[in-house]
Amino acid sequence: MKRTAWSAPLVLCIATQATAQDTVVVTQWDQFAQSGITAAGPAMDELIATCKPALNGAEVLRTIAPSIGIRDSYRLAVSAGKTPDLAYTWPAASVLSGYARVGALAPLDDYYAQYGWDQVNAFYKGRNSYEGKTYGLPMEQDLMGVYYNKDLFKENGLAVPTTYAEFQALVEKLKADEIIPVAFGNRDRWPATNTFSLILGLTAGRELEEKVFFGDEPWTNPAFVQAAQTFQDWAKADIFPRGFNGVGYDEANALFLSGRAAMTITGTWVLQDMIRGAKFDLGVFMLPPIAEGVAPGTMWGEGSQWQLSAAATPAVRDAAAAYLDCLVSPESRQVWVQKGYTVPIGTTPAELAAWGADPVVQEFFTGGLATPDANFYDLHTTLPESMTQVLYPELQRLAGGEVTADEFLTTMQAAWVTAGANNERWIP
Amino acid sequence: MTSRPAILFLLPALLLYAAFVVVPILQVVAYSFFSWDNGIAQEFVGLANYTHLGSDSVFWAALSHNAIWVVLTLAFPLLAGLLLAAILADRSPRTIQVMSAIYFIPRTIPLVVAGIIWGWIYNPLFGLLNYGLDMMGLGSLAGAWLAEESTALVSLNVVGAWTFFGFCVVIYLGAIQSIDPSLYEAAEVDGAPWWRKFRDITVPLLNNSTLFLGLYAAIEAMRFFDLIWVTTQGGPGYATEVLTTHVYKTFFLVGDFGYAAVLSVVLLVIVLSLSAIAFRLLRAK
Repeated sequence: MKRTAWSAPLVLCIATQATAQDTVVVTQWDQFAQSGITAAGPAMDELIATCKPALNGAEVLRTIAPSIGIRDSYRLAVSAGKTPDLAYTWPAASVLSGYARVGALAPLDDYYAQYGWDQVNAFYKGRNSYEGKTYGLPMEQDLMGVYYNKDLFKENGLAVPTTYAEFQALVEKLKADEIIPVAFGNRDRWPATNTFSLILGLTAGRELEEKVFFGDEPWTNPAFVQAAQTFQDWAKADIFPRGFNGVGYDEANALFLSGRAAMTITGTWVLQDMIRGAKFDLGVFMLPPIAEGVAPGTMWGEGSQWQLSAAATPAVRDAAAAYLDCLVSPESRQVWVQKGYTVPIGTTPAELAAWGADPVVQEFFTGGLATPDANFYDLHTTLPESMTQVLYPELQRLAGGEVTADEFLTTMQAAWVTAGANNERWIP
Repeated sequence: MTSRPAILFLLPALLLYAAFVVVPILQVVAYSFFSWDNGIAQEFVGLANYTHLGSDSVFWAALSHNAIWVVLTLAFPLLAGLLLAAILADRSPRTIQVMSAIYFIPRTIPLVVAGIIWGWIYNPLFGLLNYGLDMMGLGSLAGAWLAEESTALVSLNVVGAWTFFGFCVVIYLGAIQSIDPSLYEAAEVDGAPWWRKFRDITVPLLNNSTLFLGLYAAIEAMRFFDLIWVTTQGGPGYATEVLTTHVYKTFFLVGDFGYAAVLSVVLLVIVLSLSAIAFRLLRAK
C-alpha cells in the first residue's frame, strides 16, 4: 500500500510526459505586432484560435519578432541550425533562394498540390521558388502608392495627377505654396529602395526589369539611367524635405500625418498607421508612368512569406501546412482584412468592398490591383543581401548628389556581377 | 604562498577567460579561413578572404574614418579637458566638486542614449540646433548635419567629444592636484602669469595622464559602434562607416561570416597593437 502511494505520482508524471512528448508542437516566428509595420497582431491572435481545429491536436508555440529585425534573426537561426518550424519572414526571391540552397527550407510543392493555394499567382510563386521547387507561401499583398492629403489638395485647388507631367506640375504648385510635396525620410536607408523601385518600374517597365534581373541586360541601360536621374532630380528639386537622408521613416510619415507635407510615397504595410493617424481626409493614388510607352503599374511584393524548416519532422510539417491552409482560407482572409488591415494575396477589390474594408484600403488595392500584367519588382526584396547593402548607401549618395546616375548604376552593375559570380542571384 | 595554491586560485578565472575570450577569438580567426553561404561554412579557402581587403573600398573608407575619429578625439576632448581642469584647479574645493560632477555627467550616459538625444538635436526637421541658429538670426548656417557627407562624421565626433571630455577633466584634475604646489609658488614669486605656469609646469607634468588618455581614446575610437548605429548606420553613403559597422553589416546583414571574420581579425590586431603600445609606454614611465 505504501509502495503504491509513493509510486502513483511517478506514474502520473511519466504518463503526463508521454502525452507531452506525443503532442506535436509547431514553433512559429511571425511579425504581427499591434502597431507599426505589419500591425496585424489582432488578426493573428484571432486566427490562432480559429485555426486550432486545423492543427488536429498540435499546438503552436509563437514568438513575435519585429518586422525589420526578423530577417536578421532568421539568418542567425539558419546559421545556427535553429530555424523555427514555421516562420513568417521576409524577403523572398534571392534571400529565400539562399536558404533553400543551403537546405534550410522544406519544399512546399506537395502542400500546394494538396491544398490548392491557387490564389498565389505565377509572379508570386516564382518569387518563392528556387530551381523549380516552391519554398514559400506568400500571404500579404504589398503595393506601393502615393498617400495624399485630400483636404490639403482641396484647399489648394489641386487634382490627383493622371500623367507624369501633371505630377510635376502638382509638385511645382505645392512648392510655390511652400508646402513640402513629398514626405520622405531615408535615415533608415531602406525607404529609398522602395521609392526608387517605383520610379524604376514606371520608367523601365517590367519587361526590361526582367531582362536585367534574369537576362544579360546591364544595369547601365538607358532606361535605368533615366530612372536614377529622375530620383536624383526629385531630390535636387526639393520635392523631399530638407535633410531627408537624416530623417527617419517614421518621422517622414509623421510629417505627412501632421499636414506639413501633401503626399508620401510608401506601401500598404503602413495602411493601419496611416488610417489611424490621419486627422484629415486620406487618399491614395498610383504614380503615373514616368517614361513614354511604359504601362501604368505599381511595385508588387509579398511583404513576407510563410516558410517551413527542413529540420521539422514530417508530423510538424503536416500540422503546419494544415494550419497555413486555414490561415490563407477565404474566411481567414476576411479576418486579416478586417482586423489586421492586411490584404492577403488573392483578395479582390470586390471582396474588400463586401467585407467592409476601410475606404482607403479599398482605394489603394483597387488602384494597385488594376494593372496585374504591368506590376513590377521591389528591389529591396528581390536582390541578394550583398547587393542590398550596396544599394542602400549608393541610393543615399545618389539622392544626396554625391554620385551621378551613371556612377550609381556602374556600382550596381559591378555588385550584380559579383553576386552572379557568387551564385547569389535569384532565378525562379 | 607557494606557486601551486596560487595557480589553483587563478585557475577558475583563467578557465573563464579561456572560455569566453581566447576560444571565441580563435573561433573568429578560424572562420576567416572558410567560405560561407548564409552563415553555413562551406570549404577551407586559406587566405582567400584576406585578399578581398585590398579591393574593399568600404573597408578603407571605414579605416580612414576611425583614424579621423582618433585624431579629432585627441585634438578636442583632451585639449578641452586639459584647459578646463587647469582652470578648475584654481577654484574652491566646492566649485571643483560641483563642476567636475557636471562635466562628468555626459560620460555616464550610454552612447545609445547620447545618440538618440543628439539625433534629435541634429534633426533637420525639428532639431534644436537648427532652431537655435534660426533664433539667433543665423538660419543660413542651419544644415542637415547628419544627412550630408561633408558634416556627418564631424557632427558625430562632437557627440563623442561631449561624452568623453568630462572624463578627461576628471583625470587631468586628479593629476594637477597631485603636482607639488611649491612649483607654482616658486613661479608666482618669479612673476609668471597663468599661462606660463600652465605651459611650463602643468602640461609637462601631465605627460603620463595625456599618454593614458590618448591611448585610451585611440582604443575606444577603434571599438565604438553604438553611437554610429543609432544615428546614421554608417551613412549617408559611407560617410560615417567605421570598422565595427562594416563588420556588423557584413556579418548580420550580408551573412558573409568569412569576410566579417577577416574584418574582425584586422580590428583585433589594431586594438591589440594599440593596447601593447599603451602597456609598454605606461610601464616605461
